Amino acid sequence: MAEIHADIDALKGFRDALVRFRLEQRDVIARGDQEIEKTRASLEAKARRWRAELERRKAALAACRRAAAAAAAGGGPYGRGGPPGYARGGYAPDCSGLARDVAEAHEKLKHIRGWQRKVDQEADAFRGAARRFRAQIENETPRAEAHLLAIVNGLEAARGIKVSRP
Amino acid sequence: MPGRPDRDGDHHLRVLDAAWDKTRQHWNDDLTRRFDTDHWTPLLGESRSYLAALRKLMELLNAAERDTEY
Repeated sequence: MAEIHADIDALKGFRDALVRFRLEQRDVIARGDQEIEKTRASLEAKARRWRAELERRKAALAACRRAAAAAAAGGGPYGRGGPPGYARGGYAPDCSGLARDVAEAHEKLKHIRGWQRKVDQEADAFRGAARRFRAQIENETPRAEAHLLAIVNGLEAARGIKVSRP
Repeated sequence: MPGRPDRDGDHHLRVLDAAWDKTRQHWNDDLTRRFDTDHWTPLLGESRSYLAALRKLMELLNAAERDTEY
């Protein structure tokens, strides 16, 4: 039989540290998952906001273009003259600023969607490591704790026999 | 208020690693080596691998938030 050289208190202390570590890491795993969901929800909220903004800007641009077309045809709300400072060449409203606003909203929405895809991909890749670690923490670490406890109990039993021996 | 989970996880692992080093000064036999091979080394490996993946992911999540703040 192998000889045992161990300090029982040191083993008990390490077992306690292992139990604490398991509980702390369980919390770390849960918080890691929460961070993913929090960012996903935040990106989705931003995408929703910019989709609505894009629709609003598109509607403003469409209205401007209708007014421009009507002005160009001479039948618009301002007639042939148009309002001062409003018309290009005196007739049509300038919709270029609104077109830029639409393009900007498009770009921002596209950018957010790009991040959403990237976060989904990286979260999928992360899941493998998280699954293995969860198995380690939930299954293997309690086995290690039980192993240490069995050693401690064995040592204490052996010490009890030695102490009680005449 | 809790900090970033990857940083907390790193800290907990450092504490446990130091506890294991200290324990080994008082426990040196065949059972130690078996415990090291069967339990400690896999736990350390999986912990480091997970925490590295979590750190990378946290950097990405922070970048996603920063980069979409309009």
